Amino acid sequence: MGELKLMKGNEALAEAAIRAGADAYFGYPITPQSEVIEYLMAEKPYDRTGMVVLQAESEIAAINMVYGAAGAGKRVLTSSSSPGVSLKQEGISYIAGSELPCVYANVVRGGPGLGTIQPSQADYFQSTKGGGHGDYKQIVLAPASVQEMSDFVKLGFDLAFQYRIPVLILSDGVIGQMMEKVELFDQIPRLTDEEVAEKYPWATTGKKKGTERRIITSLDLDSNKMEEHNLHLQRKYKTIVENEVRYELIDCDDAEYIIVAYGSSARISQKAVQMARKKGIKVGLFRLITLFPFPAKQMQELCKKGVKGWLAVEMSAGQMVEDVMLSVKGCAKVEHFGRFGGIVHTPEEVLRALEEKIIGD
Amino acid sequence: MENQIIETEIIQLTKEDFSSDQMVKWCPGCGDHAILHSVENVFPNLGIRKEDFVVVSGIGCSSRFPYYMNTYGVHSIHGRAAALATGVKLANPKLSVWMITGDGDCMAIGGNHFIHTIRRNIDINILLFNNKIYGLTKGQYSPTTPKGHKTKTSPQGTYERPFNPGELVIGAQGNFFARVLDTNPKGMTAVFMEAAKHKGTSLVEIMQNCVIFFNKAHELITSRETRDDNQLQIEHGKPLIFGKEKNKGIILKGTRLEVVTIGENGVTEADLLVHDQYEKDPGVHMMIARMMPPEFPVALGVIRSVAAETFEQSMMDSIAYEKEHSSIKTVDEMLNSGGTWTIE
Repeated sequence: MGELKLMKGNEALAEAAIRAGADAYFGYPITPQSEVIEYLMAEKPYDRTGMVVLQAESEIAAINMVYGAAGAGKRVLTSSSSPGVSLKQEGISYIAGSELPCVYANVVRGGPGLGTIQPSQADYFQSTKGGGHGDYKQIVLAPASVQEMSDFVKLGFDLAFQYRIPVLILSDGVIGQMMEKVELFDQIPRLTDEEVAEKYPWATTGKKKGTERRIITSLDLDSNKMEEHNLHLQRKYKTIVENEVRYELIDCDDAEYIIVAYGSSARISQKAVQMARKKGIKVGLFRLITLFPFPAKQMQELCKKGVKGWLAVEMSAGQMVEDVMLSVKGCAKVEHFGRFGGIVHTPEEVLRALEEKIIGD
Repeated sequence: MENQIIETEIIQLTKEDFSSDQMVKWCPGCGDHAILHSVENVFPNLGIRKEDFVVVSGIGCSSRFPYYMNTYGVHSIHGRAAALATGVKLANPKLSVWMITGDGDCMAIGGNHFIHTIRRNIDINILLFNNKIYGLTKGQYSPTTPKGHKTKTSPQGTYERPFNPGELVIGAQGNFFARVLDTNPKGMTAVFMEAAKHKGTSLVEIMQNCVIFFNKAHELITSRETRDDNQLQIEHGKPLIFGKEKNKGIILKGTRLEVVTIGENGVTEADLLVHDQYEKDPGVHMMIARMMPPEFPVALGVIRSVAAETFEQSMMDSIAYEKEHSSIKTVDEMLNSGGTWTIE
């Protein structure tokens, strides 16, 4: 049993970064995730593990510091909230193009523009469909609890280094700000410079005699080579789709209807499922853990078992619902429900939407 | 003629014309309130029609300003107000554009746009509220937080050297730089008037107090007990004198400034540096802008005010020149000018 603590989601993420053996965090304050950098600064991680924490002059600076540190083979992360994450997109595209590992967190707030500081899930498109330019993907992990805010940092670093890819921990203002019990994993030691040089031949760890120079780049003016690079990226993404889909099924065995949700919407929907079951409605919850890769195959299998309707619940005007539609390929009705712009829906609203939009006709 | 004005006389506006109906959401005791009042006092006296004012801001506590002015306004993007204000001014040069920004908005995320706006010399007025802290995100250090100061993101004290806005402005070839205190409404009003009249980018640094996250940040310069020895009100054509007894002054010795006491070591008032805000060479202005306690008093007032051609004037002159001298006067002439060929 690891150490138990009562923590905010943002604090759990910060503590997990130290424990995951991160070498550096670069960030910039923005509500509702400023606790990440504040916690890290207060914890003096340099004394605990030698981890560096720096408050950059902007989110753009922070992601480029991440780009540099990732190129050096270090475990590095940043975090922000929606407007700040938009600023990071150029860097993310370059990191993906250069095939470097990094973890970053988006504690989503309502948009567009400056929007609001209240929770939202309206950054789904940005997170899963690109965000920056070019044909790239990133692994997107969606924590639904403070526990997962901690666990997914460790998982995120493992995946980031396994596939040399940016990993996004996509939470929202609810998960970031709420306090829950969290079981912290034990300290993972930071790698030494020698270990980095040995484990990561792609990293810029200093040219030694007889080795090739390593240049981190996402550029190739030879289109044939760039196509080859893109094909290589696509093969990598395919492997990720095959191997890294993560989800949780709750009450889905006999379900006639399924609610698909992630993050805090999944927590709310779980309550709605309990309420519906009491009324005799056979409904289950398909909780997404990875948003990319998306569990399309698993949804198709449920279709074959005779699911009559799907309700996508998300705090947006309807983004994830498109992936649900693409996954179930018209096998059954798919509808969207969600409040947005900073409003969090209630379990009662979710249940009503299920009854009216899915069961009703 | 474009934008024909029907009225020929400008109606005398009052402070009330510029007060908006919005509830002011700054903390009680925040220095921003005093700045707002000063700006409301200045706008009616500039001879500019109310509808020709645009107040542009970025993100931060100060950037709530456009809501509180009864003018056109843009509450824009963090750090981008300078670029946005540039767009407003170039699209319609007759507007009086006021950019409201803070130390974070202007010099952290917005540092790049800020120095380039100054370098271009767009005719906008920038009011920089410098409270040396991030207020809106609740107390993290900013690019002007004194080195070693403890904040939420520097519990052991910051390691970073702070920016001095004056150095940045003059270093970026700025032509107008002034510094005022939020505790001195008269001083603010006078300096804002001068800034408004200056053609080109004007920057006024307002040393503003955040009562919640960095209270008394400027206390040395503002408190009754210490201010006389730590602030110097500069005036064009006057020697640089300060101190409770008005017996201390600044001299230029070699390539540096030095504090002297009048009457000691044979120093007289005639030896003191006389302020010339119109001097084109930025050297002495830079030195005056850089003066900081404990070695020097902080210079308050207009430090630099030099006339130079503005970007939009050059742009409009260039357009006018082309209109006059181009051989092409119509669209047909343009379509038939050069690069034509006949398909046979």
